[in-house]
Amino acid sequence: MIRFEKTTVSYPGPGKPALNQVSIDVEKGEFVFLVGASGSGKSTALRLVLRELRPTTGRVYVAGKEINRLATWKVPRLRRQIGTVFQDFRLLQGKTVAENVAFALQVTGRSGRDIRATVPKTLELVGLADKAGRMPDELSGGEQQRVAIARAMVNEPMILVADEPTGNLDPTTSVGILKLFDRINQNGTTVLMATHDHGVVDQMRKRVVELDHGSVVRDEATGVYGFQH
Amino acid sequence: MQLRHVSTNLRQGLRRNMSMHAAVILTLFVSLTLAGIGVMLSKQAELTADVIGSELQVTVTLCIPDEAAFPQCTGEVTAEQEAVILDTIDKSPEVRDVEEVPREKGLQDLIDRGVVTEDQVEGPDPLITAENLPRKLRITLEEPDEYDGVISAIEDLDGVREVVPASELVGPIFTTINVLRYSAWGAAAVLVLAAVMLVANTIRLTALARRKEIEIMRLVGASRIFIALPFLLEAIFNAVVGVALTAGALAAFTQFGVIDGIKARFSGLPFVGWDAYGFAMLVVVVAGPLLTVLPTLLLTRKYLKY
Repeated sequence: MIRFEKTTVSYPGPGKPALNQVSIDVEKGEFVFLVGASGSGKSTALRLVLRELRPTTGRVYVAGKEINRLATWKVPRLRRQIGTVFQDFRLLQGKTVAENVAFALQVTGRSGRDIRATVPKTLELVGLADKAGRMPDELSGGEQQRVAIARAMVNEPMILVADEPTGNLDPTTSVGILKLFDRINQNGTTVLMATHDHGVVDQMRKRVVELDHGSVVRDEATGVYGFQH
Repeated sequence: MQLRHVSTNLRQGLRRNMSMHAAVILTLFVSLTLAGIGVMLSKQAELTADVIGSELQVTVTLCIPDEAAFPQCTGEVTAEQEAVILDTIDKSPEVRDVEEVPREKGLQDLIDRGVVTEDQVEGPDPLITAENLPRKLRITLEEPDEYDGVISAIEDLDGVREVVPASELVGPIFTTINVLRYSAWGAAAVLVLAAVMLVANTIRLTALARRKEIEIMRLVGASRIFIALPFLLEAIFNAVVGVALTAGALAAFTQFGVIDGIKARFSGLPFVGWDAYGFAMLVVVVAGPLLTVLPTLLLTRKYLKY
C-alpha cells in the first residue's frame, strides 16, 4: 500500500538529508507507528505519502502509484484515497461538526444527497452522532480530534495518515482516540501514524518503525516505543 | 452542492475584501477608460489621415472648366497636361508614390468634414455632385518635411489648380492627437500595473485569510481548479464591473465629449463616432478580463501552493 525504496529527501542548503536511503514497505490493512525524536524525518515521510514532497532520490509508491511520476493534476485523486489527521485538529471554526465533515465531500464534488447520507454515518463511526450541530469550540479536545478523524474518513480512504494525533490530548482521551484508529484499521484501512506518545505505542503492540536522523534504525512487527532490551 | 459552495465562497470573498475589490474595480475602470480613449484617438488619427491626408501627403488639385481665379487654369486639365504633371511628380526624388483620389471619395471627405451634409448631395437637386468636384492627385512623400522640390516643380504647371502639403493642415492636429494618445496610453499602462498589483495583493490577503480552509481542501483532494475557482470568479466579477463602468464612461465621452462637444463646434474636420467607440469597447472587453484573470491564474498557483 505504501512503499519507500531507498528514498532520500534533501532540503535546500547544507546539512544532512531529512530522509536517507529509507526503505519501508507497508502492506494493505497494516497499522504502523512511525516513531523517533523531533527532526528524525517522521513528518517528511508523511509529507511524501501525501505527495506534498517528492523524493530527491529513490522511489515512493502510494496506493500503487509512484508519486514522483504522478502528474500534478492527478494528485487530488491520490489524496482522496488518503485521510489525514493532525495534532492541532485543523477544524474550521465557523462551521458546525457536520459541516466540517461535509466540507471534505463538498470540495471533492459529491452530491448533496450523498453528503446528507454519508455525514451522519461517519459521525456515528466516531461517536459524535449527537453533536452534529455543535461548533468546534463547544467540544473537548478529544471530541475535536474525533471530528478531524471523521473528516479524514468520510471519503472512505484506503490509507489514514496521522501526525501526532494524541499530542494535544490527555492519556485517557488518547486511549479513546487510539481505540478509534484501531477500529478503523480493523475495517481494512491502512494506518500510518507518526507519534511521540510512548504509552500509545506500548499499549497497541503494532508494527513500529523508528527513524533516527533520517534513517530507519528499527522495524519491529509488534514493537514498543523504545528499544527492547 | 459544488455550485452552492462556490457561490457562497464568491459572496464571502467579495464581502471579506470589499474595499480591495472596489480598489481593483476603480483602478481597472480608469485604466480601461484611458486605454479606450487612446484607441479612439488612434482611430481619430486614421480618420484624419484618410480624409485630410497624413503628414506624408501632398494633395494636387487639377483644373476644372471656368476657373478664372487660377491663372494656370485655362479650362479643364487636358490629357497632355496631366501626362506632364504625372511625369514631373514621378521624377521627383522626394516622392514615394502618387495616386488619383476618386471624386466620390472627395465628396465623402467633404461630408465627413462637415462641409456639406448628406442631404445636400442627394436628391433631384443636389448642391454639389462628385462630377462637379475637381480631380485630385495624392502624393505620398519619402519624408514628411521634404516637399519643397516637388511643390515648386509642379505648382506652376498648366492644368494644376492648387498644391497643398497636408502637413500644413494636419501637422498641429496630429501633434495634438499624438500627445493625447500617448499620454492616455502611458497613464493607462501605469494604472494597469497598479490594477495587477492590487489583484496580487487581494489574492495574497484572501489566501492568508483562508489558509486553513485551503490547506484542508488540498489535503482532502479538492482539484486545483476547485480551489482556485472562487479567486477566478472574483477576478471575472471585477473585470465585468470594470468593463461595464468603462462602457458607460466611453459612451458618455463619445456622445457628450465628441458628438455633442467638439464635433458640433468644429466644422471642417472629421471626428470619430460610435464606430470608434465599438472598436475601443472590443479592445476593452478583451483586455479587462485578461488583466484580472491572467494574474489570478499565475498568482493563485504561487499563493495557494496547490
